[in-house]
Amino acid sequence: MTKRTDAKPALQLAGALDLSPAPESCPAPIKSRYGHFIGGEFVDGDDHFTTVNPATGEVLAEVAAGSDETVDQAVKAARKAADGVWGKMSGADRGKFLYRIARRIQERSRELAVLETIDNGKPIRETRDVDIPLAAQHFFYYAGWADKLQYAVPGGNPTPLGVAGQVIPWNFPFLMASWKLAPALATGNTVVLKPAETTPLSAMLLAEILQEVDLPPGVINIVNGAGRTGGAVMGHPDIDKVAFTGSTNVGRIIMRQIAGSKKKATMELGGKGAHIVFADASLDQAVEGCINGIFFNQGHVCCAGSRLLVEESIAEEFLERLKRRVEVLRIGNPLDKNTDIGAINSVKQLGTINKYLDIGKNEGANVWQSPCPVPDKGFFLPPTIMSGVQQTDTVVREEIFGPVLSVLTFRTPAEAIKKANDTEYGLAAGVWSEKNSKLFEVAHALNAGIVWANGYNLFDPASPFGGVRHSGFGREGGIAGLWAYMGGIS
Amino acid sequence: MRTSVDKTLKMYVGGKFIRSESGRTTPATSAKGRPMNVAAASRKDLRNAIQIARGAQAGWAGRTAYNRGQIFYRLAEILDDRADGLPTTEADTLSAADRAVHFAGWADKITALLSSLNPVAHTYVNYSMVGPMGVILACPDPADGLTGMVEALCGPLVMGNSVIVMVSAEQGELAVALSEALAVSDFPGGCVNILTGDVASVIGHGIRHDDLDAVYLLGEAVDSSLIAEIHTENARVMRRFIQAPRSTEPAPPGRLVQLAEVKTVWMSSAIMGGGGAAY
Repeated sequence: MTKRTDAKPALQLAGALDLSPAPESCPAPIKSRYGHFIGGEFVDGDDHFTTVNPATGEVLAEVAAGSDETVDQAVKAARKAADGVWGKMSGADRGKFLYRIARRIQERSRELAVLETIDNGKPIRETRDVDIPLAAQHFFYYAGWADKLQYAVPGGNPTPLGVAGQVIPWNFPFLMASWKLAPALATGNTVVLKPAETTPLSAMLLAEILQEVDLPPGVINIVNGAGRTGGAVMGHPDIDKVAFTGSTNVGRIIMRQIAGSKKKATMELGGKGAHIVFADASLDQAVEGCINGIFFNQGHVCCAGSRLLVEESIAEEFLERLKRRVEVLRIGNPLDKNTDIGAINSVKQLGTINKYLDIGKNEGANVWQSPCPVPDKGFFLPPTIMSGVQQTDTVVREEIFGPVLSVLTFRTPAEAIKKANDTEYGLAAGVWSEKNSKLFEVAHALNAGIVWANGYNLFDPASPFGGVRHSGFGREGGIAGLWAYMGGIS
Repeated sequence: MRTSVDKTLKMYVGGKFIRSESGRTTPATSAKGRPMNVAAASRKDLRNAIQIARGAQAGWAGRTAYNRGQIFYRLAEILDDRADGLPTTEADTLSAADRAVHFAGWADKITALLSSLNPVAHTYVNYSMVGPMGVILACPDPADGLTGMVEALCGPLVMGNSVIVMVSAEQGELAVALSEALAVSDFPGGCVNILTGDVASVIGHGIRHDDLDAVYLLGEAVDSSLIAEIHTENARVMRRFIQAPRSTEPAPPGRLVQLAEVKTVWMSSAIMGGGGAAY
């Protein structure tokens, strides 16, 4: 008979998970220097900054920072296209251009995935299976709306707004570009897009695709740069609509900047998603869901499930299961097909996350980090779990935007709902139970734009995405994603 | 001078090109002036097609909406590519391609537009969703050419049904050209089938078959004398009969909903259960 011991069960893997490196080798050419894409042409810029590979810290390319004059040129090109060819084109023909873009993205998907992974640091597994396919799907979805807009609003006879200024973040560079561009174009608007300064490369490859599909010049203009350039786009007097995805703080700056103008706006901002696990949940699935919720894309996800709320009766066991699973996540070369967790996007963001870890320790949190090996160059952080934290702790209230999970407990559904809603944010939340009625009641009580029941971080262009309260307003995806780009409907 | 290779015109059923089990054909003339024999669908051909369509329907409806949209789009790609080679005008083929693009767009949207979340006065989530009826027999107006055939098959398919399109022998060559485009468009075998022959007689067989869910006629697909007969026979099994105008414009949502059923689900949304008997 086996002698019982107090030792915790451990996974006896005996090296079975030591896989040979499997780097994705599809070529993704990178130029040494990038300017902007204005009026259908690549144009040189000046005042260059660098974009680096976060997995190595090495410089990838020099990128121009758009000046006020550059932005003005781009807006003029967009206005010309809006008043001319694009504004007058039939919806069916606009749709065909969007379908072309969707198909070309599918055709060049692996090249795009590799480029995105190199520039962003996220694992190839994610760019290959999530970012790029979803981006193509977004164009495909909104392509189909272009000749059906009269059905998108009851009694509506929608018109384009004109020129949209769009500023997107670095966490899903290509996907966020597609979320912004596809509905804007389907509804007959033209765009000036400003990619994030740490991840400009995939947008420049998109510009090549736009040339390939003969998109009329000026319909999409891309101006590179950092916050100053983004401010110039948002503040330009001839922009009719601003769309921003990023932090709540920058969202506030933009809303003040456009105050008093007639610009329409949508804001997709930060979050501090509650992830509720009831004792009657399928625990193995819930563990996977929680990991997906916070460690997907290194936690650089505005809707990340960064606050785990576990029913007290299972809290200890669940935390053990969670840690045991997190320990076998592989962190490393993002281009390796076996990598689960890639690089933190920038040294700046790594500093921000580490600052929060210090705050957590100072406020009394138990900080646990996966013992997995971490590369010695590049910007990496092992998956981190903070337990013993309170609702009032900084790490529970503020968005960390990294692979850091806070763990709290509750006793009743009412307490779970109250704690989940005790935040200034309201982007997304998750709930796990095998009881459907409980899922519905809790999901309906959660004050968030999106609630996932028995799942997390699920995205589909047919499903609206966006937050409430300080997480912003407006929706991207679905029918609701069209409304923000339509005039003449209210 | 080269001796041309004449094509045997077959029907398209279950993803395969078949002759009529009856061995019968109808003589016609090809667009290039060659004599040809169009397969003449029999009652047994229709019964086989209905059985195959029934078997394929769940698989087709079970595909993701995105996948179905891409398959419609693939049909448009093929038609566009062959625009100068099909036995109809180039304008007709291009219009048919555009029609397929239009329906590609509906594939992942129409249920969102026609379904509803119903505000019932109970602690239940109550939603109604549009879903497929099953197997539909569709007949285009011959005057609408290839565009009419594409319209006739796209409406039923986009709602998740299987469809059997019945085309007159006069348009047999064009029907085969369409079948050849469908066959390389990634439609799963059996969800779309094309029969050729005498339209009135095949419809007459269809409305006496108990496992056909709807008859979908566009424009002047059949003589008015057959219309009353369709109504009468349909009454026996509550079969739907959708009559639509010609295919100048694509089917609006109000017609697409006629090619679907509405299902409503009451899902308890209270932790303590919502059974609450009031008696």
